[in-house]
Amino acid sequence: MRELGGEILVAIVGLSGGFAVGSAFVALLIVLDLIPRLVQLTRAYRRSAIFESALLAGVIGFNCADLFDWRLSLGKGWLVAPAVFQGVFVGMLAAALTEVLNVIPIVAKRLRLNRYLLLLLLAMVLGKVAGSLADWLLFQPMHD
Amino acid sequence: MGDGIVYLRLRRRVDVMPGAIITLGDIASIEADSRYEDRIGKLVIWKMRPEDGNLLMIDMLQIVRLIRRLDPSLTVETFGEPHVLLEVTSEGKVKPRYLLLVAAWLLLFFGSGMAIMNFHADVDMPVVQRRIVELLTGRPDRHAWLFEVPYSLGVGLGMLIFFNRVFRKRLNDEPNPLEVEMFMYQQNVNHYVITQEYAKTRQREDGPDA
Repeated sequence: MRELGGEILVAIVGLSGGFAVGSAFVALLIVLDLIPRLVQLTRAYRRSAIFESALLAGVIGFNCADLFDWRLSLGKGWLVAPAVFQGVFVGMLAAALTEVLNVIPIVAKRLRLNRYLLLLLLAMVLGKVAGSLADWLLFQPMHD
Repeated sequence: MGDGIVYLRLRRRVDVMPGAIITLGDIASIEADSRYEDRIGKLVIWKMRPEDGNLLMIDMLQIVRLIRRLDPSLTVETFGEPHVLLEVTSEGKVKPRYLLLVAAWLLLFFGSGMAIMNFHADVDMPVVQRRIVELLTGRPDRHAWLFEVPYSLGVGLGMLIFFNRVFRKRLNDEPNPLEVEMFMYQQNVNHYVITQEYAKTRQREDGPDA
């Protein structure tokens, strides 16, 4: 009897934990204005269900694959798709984060570099790409 | 002479075809005496030119000027926005770019998937799960299925509830936060475009020397 109570409690804690994580996940993405930008890019106004379904499918799918160890034995070539999309996603997330924090406008204004905004942006982009490449190609293998 | 009044309310944003001839009826709701209403509705406000770009603002003052030129005795009463944005699209209607839409779907799919796995790795979720199961049941050595399945359901449910999809029947008219955020974003873009366009028209009126 005590065992069953414990198991029910585990299930309840699990459900609530998932609940908190799921809603926090969406809240973060919404604060970062990532999706409105994508909506504008694709001109898919008033079609929020499409974007919601993508988020939901991605989170649930990868969550289950992660926790329940779902393995697919695909060829290495298939890695290109997740690699490209995940790279772009992280890039957009990073850009959105700096935008929310107003880093670039403030720096540009303080240093009176308003005219060179594009150069500043380019510096950041190149820095991120160089940093990522250096990290993966030079530094990461040493930890193994 | 109370019947010489024209009530106007401009739309916020109107999709137009390239080269279209814009009449007042296209961009505004009009309420006026039936004698004028037809004539005012067909009043030509602007002819789209290629050099107008794909966004063009028309100011209420411009419209009032044209109406007074048509009939100086008319009084114009305006409501709502003092300007309208014309968006030029080839079909006269904004259509989604389907290829980009597929790419965006995949982007969000893989991206959010990686984000949740990143989160799990970051907070050492498997260890935490096993610990919770151990604390609650007193036995450490089992696979935490009982935790993981409700957790996975909870993640999806939490997202759905945030998107306001589950209780749709009850909260029928309430938009979801994503829709609100999309609306706010569009609003900000419109605001920016309008401010820019005002600056441009002022420059035109002042002449290039100013």
